[in-house]
Amino acid sequence: MSKGKSKTKLVAQREILENVRTKTFWIGILSFPVILVASILIPTWFQKKVDVRTFGVEDRSGWLSAAIEKRLEMPDFDALTKLLLDKDAEPSLPKDLRQSTLGQFLQAFAKVGAKQLKEKQSLNSLLPTLLDTLESSDLGSLLEKLPISLPIPKGKAKEGIKTFLGNMRSDIAKFNDWIESLPEEEAEKLRNPRKNPKFQLTAKGPEDELRELLKKEKLFAYFVIGKDPVQGDDGNKYVSNNLTDQSLRRWFSNIANGIVAAKRIQKLGISPEKAAWLQTPVRFAPKKLDESGNETEVARKDIALKWAPVAFVYLLWISVFMMAQMMLTNTIEEKSNRIIEVLLSSVSPLELMTGKILGIAVTGLLVVGSWAGFFALGIYLLPTFFPQSEGIIASLGLGSILANPAYLASFIIYFVLGFLLYASVLGGIGSVCNSLKEAQNLQQPVILLLIIPLLAMMPIASDPNGTLARVLSFIPPFTPFVMMNRAGGPPALWEYALTSILLLLTVWLTFRGAAKIFRIGILMTGKPPKLREMLRWLRAPVNR
Amino acid sequence: MGISQAPPSIAEGLQFALEVEHVTKRFGDFTAVSDLSMRVPTGSIYGFLGPNGSGKTTTMRMIMSIFYPDEGQIRVLGAEDAAQVKDRLGYLPEEKGLYKKMKVREIVAYFGRLKGLSKEEAYGRATELLSKYGLGDWLDTRCEALSKGMGQKVQLLGTLVHDPDLVILDEPFSGLDPINMELMRDTILDLKKQGKTVLFSTHVMAQAEEICDSILLIYKGKAKLDGPLAKIRAGGHRAIRLEFEGDASFLRDDPQVDHVNMTPNSAEVFLKTEADPQDFLRSLLGKLRIRRFDMRDPSLHEIYVRTIGPEAAKEFGHV
Repeated sequence: MSKGKSKTKLVAQREILENVRTKTFWIGILSFPVILVASILIPTWFQKKVDVRTFGVEDRSGWLSAAIEKRLEMPDFDALTKLLLDKDAEPSLPKDLRQSTLGQFLQAFAKVGAKQLKEKQSLNSLLPTLLDTLESSDLGSLLEKLPISLPIPKGKAKEGIKTFLGNMRSDIAKFNDWIESLPEEEAEKLRNPRKNPKFQLTAKGPEDELRELLKKEKLFAYFVIGKDPVQGDDGNKYVSNNLTDQSLRRWFSNIANGIVAAKRIQKLGISPEKAAWLQTPVRFAPKKLDESGNETEVARKDIALKWAPVAFVYLLWISVFMMAQMMLTNTIEEKSNRIIEVLLSSVSPLELMTGKILGIAVTGLLVVGSWAGFFALGIYLLPTFFPQSEGIIASLGLGSILANPAYLASFIIYFVLGFLLYASVLGGIGSVCNSLKEAQNLQQPVILLLIIPLLAMMPIASDPNGTLARVLSFIPPFTPFVMMNRAGGPPALWEYALTSILLLLTVWLTFRGAAKIFRIGILMTGKPPKLREMLRWLRAPVNR
Repeated sequence: MGISQAPPSIAEGLQFALEVEHVTKRFGDFTAVSDLSMRVPTGSIYGFLGPNGSGKTTTMRMIMSIFYPDEGQIRVLGAEDAAQVKDRLGYLPEEKGLYKKMKVREIVAYFGRLKGLSKEEAYGRATELLSKYGLGDWLDTRCEALSKGMGQKVQLLGTLVHDPDLVILDEPFSGLDPINMELMRDTILDLKKQGKTVLFSTHVMAQAEEICDSILLIYKGKAKLDGPLAKIRAGGHRAIRLEFEGDASFLRDDPQVDHVNMTPNSAEVFLKTEADPQDFLRSLLGKLRIRRFDMRDPSLHEIYVRTIGPEAAKEFGHV
């Protein structure tokens, strides 16, 4: 027995050495960091290179288009307020802006409405409505209800309102000038969040002209605003030849919607503060229960923990597939090298197959281990190149993901078991084929089978304890991937136990079956046997 | 755990290095080997003859316990279970190859280690053998860089690196260049000198005739003839070896001649039992220029053709 083991070990050792000398191995190892770097760099690069969507507008209402433009010119009031309250903030606001009407208003509002702000009541949705509707409403009554001492000249209320609004508007322009003087990165944070450099209004005019421009592809799309958008949608339209990218249409109607809604509220004679209240969206603060059943805040790392399995499943799938494939190609190569029979004079087919599988498993662990190393190195180095990423990485709580046995530990176990299962099957297939071409036909059903857990990956990640997830985890060929996928759930202990038993049993049976086919197939030349013939081999006893 | 016991050694006491008794092997409906028995005396060179597809390779694979017989018994080096003595056997299959990426010494040593040699022993033996066979300068060359002839040498050394007691060679001469053919023959004779037993298969009779002590003739899975070569040849009809100049085609119709194996300038003639060789010689004079007229034992080729029948022999290109 010990002799057999040492022969298996020799075969495994040789297999590792041979694999490590191949290009495929090094490509496998190096492809990961390349993909990792590319997946960070390419999106950033594309973000900088925006495809501009130019559009035109014919405004038959005579006011909505202008209102939209005006709205987009308003800075991010929430961000500005934060900046005003934060004394250490960089970049520092000039003193005259701090003391301007808008500056004082924002500070006053923030102090009073701090509670509201905490509830995520956005000034960005409140203030523009206020500015739009103040003119025609009674400021006095508003002031009584809003316990803010506004810097409004006392006495004549109507005069006061006009002066106040005029100051506010000119202050907005001043703030905008200051924002545009900042470095791009800082300025970006303070501009209207609705403002999107991707969408640019380049033409206004009658529809005929816009149509011509669209035909010449000078425009991506154009809008026609109906005569009375407050009344209804009559005459509103969006014309474009691109039917798939609806982002411009959605963006434009979103802004228009806010403005028109405010107008409708005003028309009904609802006061601005009621209007703001009316338009406050209903929100539900996300919470979760911790292990002792207490309600806690949902942090980013909790979400990362729920989605991490997807990354693990990808890695698991790729590594299992890659390594099982290696088993297939190496077996066929050995067969076409005609070295098999020489080997079989020294080792039994079972020793040979076991040795090969073990050798490739170690090779696979080397590859996966190197990936983990690259990943850790990347996490360690990333803040050096992208300083802003430090907080994000820390908030993801990668340490807690790795320490959780449902993740890294089960990844390694499921890699080994999944690999054993698929390497046995592909080793068996490889043994009856004389060329990769023959093998490609035979392995098709296996690949189809492997695609199922990949297709189910997203549905399972969002519902890790759902029916689909549960059912699939009890089908042994899917167990490694699906159980890994469900790690965020996590599944109950009895599910782990039962699926593992089923999987182990299947691995054992598959391995034995593959060994029987391997024994006979490995010395066969000529056409691959029929499925029926292979089933007959399975019935024969394994005599050694 | 039978392995821990010392297997029976190849002492003088062991008369037969290999005993095959009533072995049958079927693949599906096809019977590859049928009720085959053979005994290979220790220290002899044993020829395993037969046309392609007659069951030689299957038998050898059964001896190497790569296949297992459906019926019958195989006793190798005295062991009931051949797997137990696998490490004392050397096997060179007809279909053989090398790992292209491995270095010459590495692969020979690897084969040695698979046969139970320690790492040091294996590398030592590999270096020694490779140098002896003129491959001393190629120890660290990758196998893919070797010429075909050198590759063949490396394959042979991989079979011998662990100093096996029983060497089994499947068609060892096929595909060899003349130099390696010579080398193979010398190696086989050398193994015999060292007291080893060699079993080799071939379908070329001349090779067997040259070096074999005993032979077994197999056809369609069945043993047709076996025993010491000298005895087999003595048992056959005596033949007249004729070398000549001229057209000898009339010999086929000569009433004294039973049959004739003809090549352009020579012939092996078998006379009818009642015919007198002297009369026959006389009848040739004037028709041919006789260069040689030699009464002798029949060639292995003749025995072979006679055993399996001329039609079958023709089928495999032997006439």
